[in-house]
Amino acid sequence: MSTALGKTGEVPVNGASPEKERWTPLIVAFCCNWCSYAGGDLAGTSRMDYPANVKVIRMPCSSRINPLFILRAFQRGADGVLVAGCHPGDCHYTSGNYYVRRNLSLFRRLLEFSGIEPERFQVSWISASEGDKFAGVMQSLTEEIKALGPNGKWRDSRWQSVE
Amino acid sequence: MAERRINNMEKIRTAVAQDLLSGRIDLLLGWEKGLYWWQSRPLFARNSEDLQRLTWDSFCVANLSGYLQEELKENKKIGILLKGCDSRALNRLVQDQMVDRERVVAYGLPCPGLLDPRLLKQEAGLELTALGIEEGEDRVTLTGTKGKSIAREELLLEKCRRCHHPDPVGCDQLLLPPVGSREDRSRFHQVTRLEEIPAEERFAYWSSQFERCLRCYACREACPCCSCRECFVEQEEPRWLGKAHENSENFIYHLTRAFHSAGRCVECGECQRVCPVELPLMELSSKIIKDINELYGEYQAGLDTEQDPPLLTYQPDDPAAFVE
Repeated sequence: MSTALGKTGEVPVNGASPEKERWTPLIVAFCCNWCSYAGGDLAGTSRMDYPANVKVIRMPCSSRINPLFILRAFQRGADGVLVAGCHPGDCHYTSGNYYVRRNLSLFRRLLEFSGIEPERFQVSWISASEGDKFAGVMQSLTEEIKALGPNGKWRDSRWQSVE
Repeated sequence: MAERRINNMEKIRTAVAQDLLSGRIDLLLGWEKGLYWWQSRPLFARNSEDLQRLTWDSFCVANLSGYLQEELKENKKIGILLKGCDSRALNRLVQDQMVDRERVVAYGLPCPGLLDPRLLKQEAGLELTALGIEEGEDRVTLTGTKGKSIAREELLLEKCRRCHHPDPVGCDQLLLPPVGSREDRSRFHQVTRLEEIPAEERFAYWSSQFERCLRCYACREACPCCSCRECFVEQEEPRWLGKAHENSENFIYHLTRAFHSAGRCVECGECQRVCPVELPLMELSSKIIKDINELYGEYQAGLDTEQDPPLLTYQPDDPAAFVE
């Protein structure tokens, strides 16, 4: 690789190769129906740009998230997972996001304990009126994961990218 | 010491015999000697004959609380012998409304800590079948090794070394004198050590551990808080877990098992003790307990049944372990 690059005069900066440049991470975003999913809609209808490699999955509430969803996402090829829900106090079901805050805080630390970089699993509160925040979070998340590179940890060895 | 043990045994037997033979309880859950001297297995006693086999020694390690749910289907009232950790498991099951406390008579046995046959074998350098022990006050003499004598504390099971509450909590009666609380013991040194190493090494560590998992599910079977009627492992629709021997599936199994007992684990350490490949499973559970304590306040499951379990409640101003 380095000799080939040497010939064309390209010098890898910080270990970045053209392949790594081209690589786009796969990010799964579990969005609450009442706030974050509507926020995503607003981002769309307001024609804001956010990376297309974020796959949004609509959930009735952020507290619908089963930690198994997150583990399965990592197992089957996700490089990053985001859970987005209503701001604390704004839950459509009054208190779902309060419970999930405790739940996912513990789960995030457990994931970190198992060796996954904590940046790969994030939680964000995005309301229905925050289209710009939605686009911003997706943008920064994609950049962070891009900097980390592909996730090989706890990946199913039988799994293959469809690309 | 031997005399005291016989006295203790008589005390226990008389107390439970009274209740069992008078019909106050239909079944007594205790322990009896198994095939080998270093094993005591669960005993399900229904009459005075069964009671003759009842035993209480340094190997009565099985947590009997886990049997209650199943046994209460067929018995009206059950008597159960409980060590400190077992009693907390019962309390936690009662709090989850999985066991009706009215139908259980809990006899508490303050526990001096139990011996680890693996350590005995290691110390003696002999097969356990060629070995015997004589227990003193705080020392254990290995017979068959020219009388090597070791401090009892050094032969305890891993789970007993980190035990803070050897005395049973919330029992109907204590059958032996209490041994006192042991809050000087460290519970999280292993977790802290793992937290401090780089993520890559931690991944390598867990990867090599989970790779050895046979998925026999002994950890789940032995766990007194695994009380679901249908476990996610067996569920067909949705199929949460594949059947293949694949490290990522092992990882999902162990992380989920530990997380399902979050806020309910009483640190009885049975998961780790029964593991045939000796996976350090308590490190996962301890990690969760440590985080609960750090983020949402000190909580020890099964100690105080009035205290809300941390994952079933919230405060509006809770801290989070992520950037909100």
